[in-house]
Amino acid sequence: MQIPQHTMTQGLIFSIEEFAINDGPGIRKTVFLKGCPLRCAWCHNPEGLFGGPQIMHGRDGDELCGRFVRSTELAASLLKDSDFYTMSNGGVTFTGGEPTMQSDFLIEVLEMLKGKVHTALETSGFCPEPVFRRIVGLTDFVLFDIKAVNPEVHKRYTGVDNALILKNLDNLIRSGKPFVVRIPLIPGVNDSLEAMEQVHELIMDAPGLQRVEILRYHKTAGAKYPKVDMEYNPPFDTDAEPQIHNIFENSIVL
Amino acid sequence: MMTERISSLKDYFFDGKHHTVRRTPQMLGLDTLAVSFSEQNLPASMRASMMLEAMLDAERAVIFDGEQIVATRTITSVPSIFTEGEWKKIKESHYLHENGMLSNISPNFGAILEEGLESRKQRFMDRAASADAEGKLFVSSVVKSIEALQKFIQKYESCAVGMGKHDLAQVLHNIRAEGAGTFHEALQLLRFVHYGLWASGCYHNTLGRFDQYMYPYYKRDIDAGRLSRDEAYELLQSFFLSCNKDSDLYPGMQQGDNGQSMVLGGRDRSGRSLFNELSGMCLEASYDLNLIDPKINLRVDSGTPLEVFKLGARLTERGLGFPQYDNDDVVIPGLMRLGYDEEDAYDYVVAACWEFIIPGKAMDIVNIGALSLAAVVSESVDKLGSFSSFNEYYDWLEQDIRRRCVELSKQFGNLYVVPAPLYSAFMDGTLERARDITVGGKYNNFGIHGTGIATAVDSLSAIKKYVFEQKSITVDELQAALDANFEGYEDIYRKLRFEAPKMGRDDDYADSLATKLLNSFAKGLEGLTNERGGIFRAGTGTAMYYISHAASLKATPDGRKAGEVLPANYSPSMFLRHNGPVSVMKSFAKPELDHAINGGPLTIELDDTIFRNEENLEKLAMLIRSYVILGGHQLQLNTLKKEDLLDAKVHPENHRNLIVRVWGWSGYFVELDECYQDHVINRIKYSI
Repeated sequence: MQIPQHTMTQGLIFSIEEFAINDGPGIRKTVFLKGCPLRCAWCHNPEGLFGGPQIMHGRDGDELCGRFVRSTELAASLLKDSDFYTMSNGGVTFTGGEPTMQSDFLIEVLEMLKGKVHTALETSGFCPEPVFRRIVGLTDFVLFDIKAVNPEVHKRYTGVDNALILKNLDNLIRSGKPFVVRIPLIPGVNDSLEAMEQVHELIMDAPGLQRVEILRYHKTAGAKYPKVDMEYNPPFDTDAEPQIHNIFENSIVL
Repeated sequence: MMTERISSLKDYFFDGKHHTVRRTPQMLGLDTLAVSFSEQNLPASMRASMMLEAMLDAERAVIFDGEQIVATRTITSVPSIFTEGEWKKIKESHYLHENGMLSNISPNFGAILEEGLESRKQRFMDRAASADAEGKLFVSSVVKSIEALQKFIQKYESCAVGMGKHDLAQVLHNIRAEGAGTFHEALQLLRFVHYGLWASGCYHNTLGRFDQYMYPYYKRDIDAGRLSRDEAYELLQSFFLSCNKDSDLYPGMQQGDNGQSMVLGGRDRSGRSLFNELSGMCLEASYDLNLIDPKINLRVDSGTPLEVFKLGARLTERGLGFPQYDNDDVVIPGLMRLGYDEEDAYDYVVAACWEFIIPGKAMDIVNIGALSLAAVVSESVDKLGSFSSFNEYYDWLEQDIRRRCVELSKQFGNLYVVPAPLYSAFMDGTLERARDITVGGKYNNFGIHGTGIATAVDSLSAIKKYVFEQKSITVDELQAALDANFEGYEDIYRKLRFEAPKMGRDDDYADSLATKLLNSFAKGLEGLTNERGGIFRAGTGTAMYYISHAASLKATPDGRKAGEVLPANYSPSMFLRHNGPVSVMKSFAKPELDHAINGGPLTIELDDTIFRNEENLEKLAMLIRSYVILGGHQLQLNTLKKEDLLDAKVHPENHRNLIVRVWGWSGYFVELDECYQDHVINRIKYSI
């Protein structure tokens, strides 16, 4: 596809990881897009929250976190490696932050990759519905995060209401697209049997559901906060052992 | 799984309880033999067989509780057959490789297991009639050596009888004369043959294609219903265990550097995979035992099933630093390109570390020398001012490499290797030639390691980009900065170290220079021959040179300061800001590695968190397979547990079991010299 350079959108990314092994099928390259509308209390990538470049204190001194990249440039670099990832039936995963926040950019990149390399999207689902449907339509695989079905719990621990998220979950299910549901398991927040049953209820009949991935909370989540001059004060007991109610037919605890 | 028998034997040996049976050669009067040999003016070949005979006569038969595969060294070292004065004279007129003893080749184990010692001995005896004087001497030394080994086996048989171990006694009785009839006999005979090589002072004694030559015995026993898989597995573990009980006595640069490498899998000329049930059991046994020997190599190719890579990846999790993967797609054509016959190339095995050799046939000295490519580039900086373009400079550099190769090739003249009659008995062609293997075999090639490849390539990249293309650093500035070890040249230092193109980031700018440099290295050695008519093989290993070559190297144009070490083997710079293993693999697979096929793996450190679940194991297997498909020639993966290593330096007593891969071998971390410990710890920063 020939698109004049100057019409292409720039995106802001804060990391690209090779040999990502927990972000979808096969070996993947994961692109982290900067900026997120949620403020989850357990977030382990605080440098992905703010939607602009920022200073990050590192071992070798301060560095700028976040770099702008044109969609054409990113797509070209991803396609350069695509053969390698295809060998393991892997591909490219977009995560963040919340990747759909930079929807114009993401859509352009996905359009350029379509049919050439397997793509996956990891999303909170917090995104206008038409945009979400468009992006899902361009993606081969979705990793959909569900933090809490209970609206109050969701609002309290992520800062946003989950109505839109649940609508997009429904949009995803209706699309028939293969997807996994990811549940960050936070002790005392969303680890009760009831909370799991609520998730189960929503997804049990989804034709595209591949499996449920339960991600255990790690205390190391707080490690990067001082590097971006943020404080880490999660309003839950980080030392508590979470309950594990693995009620899903096909699931894995990571 | 380990049975009770295996696990208690493992503990027994690991705790060194069997060391109580050890004696020194001095205690047995063996240390004075050289003097008496010298007084009698005996030829070396005869001395070698007499020394082996004396050693094995003085050895005791010791059978530990529960042992199924016996033979333990009780004498701590093998005395020299020459007096100090004689050694001095030999050194005056000869080139000696390392300590002068035969090392780092691979016998034809399969043939001796099949034929048996008595028949082999007989054939050598029969050869005497038609041999010349030197041949007669050689043949009689071989016969004497085999007899000594047979007597030694008999001693064990009597011991077994005395202890009422009749099954074991029967095995020992059979293999003293005959070829192996069962899996147990094959393992026990192999143990004695291997033991004999060590007892004759030869070292870096490899184990070759164990799964291939051992499989027929396994299969026959299983098919006949004589042996269950579990029984066979226990015997296999017993054999593996036996490789560990004396290994602290084996000579090497550091403890663990003993060359007991074993090669599994591979394919034949029709493309058929040779990975069999026993190959899988070997990987499993190594996983279960979690010991440094034998060191496993897995021959793979682009068609190897993912399942095989998964078995390998599972063993990688142990952190033993093996299996090492060798890619048949690259190695076989590479060896053929060097002049190895097709059937021999297909039969390749791995020497002590990573060098490719032909079992039974090659008297190659694969680690005879090294060329520091980092030094070649470093020393060229003084000349930079006389060139107007990079190409002009590089043409000169290529000639300089050639000049150095020619010079290097002349250093190994009048080579002398102490005769090895017992080893010769297990090599092909020695009978027909009636000559010791140490004077030459079918192949007599020498291998030269190319060290500091990434440092050299990164330096060339920086020179090309900043001096010749951008002209942003002048020759004078670069020279001054390097002379000052970058003191006062902070900007240049950062630019060279962090911004310049580097090998390992999938950047064609640097990687194309790697291709160029490796080709120049191979070309530099092309056409050169040694005094035995062999050729010189270019390789990508470093051995211990990554420490010594770095010590004499000043600051380099890649932003490396004086004193900073070189990467081990064929690996990215120690301070590369890498994107991840995919870029590293892609970069390192780009050069035409079949042109520089002496051996030397891409080495990647893994963080042990990768092994959190079965799924990740499969992805690691996919990663390894991808490297093989890309055309990488050899791969070594090390799993590092950072906290353990750091703590082990402070509290070695708590980490006696901690195993790391050093350069081409695995050893116990706490037994290593500090410079090697630090190199390993340094590599963690770059793990994935």
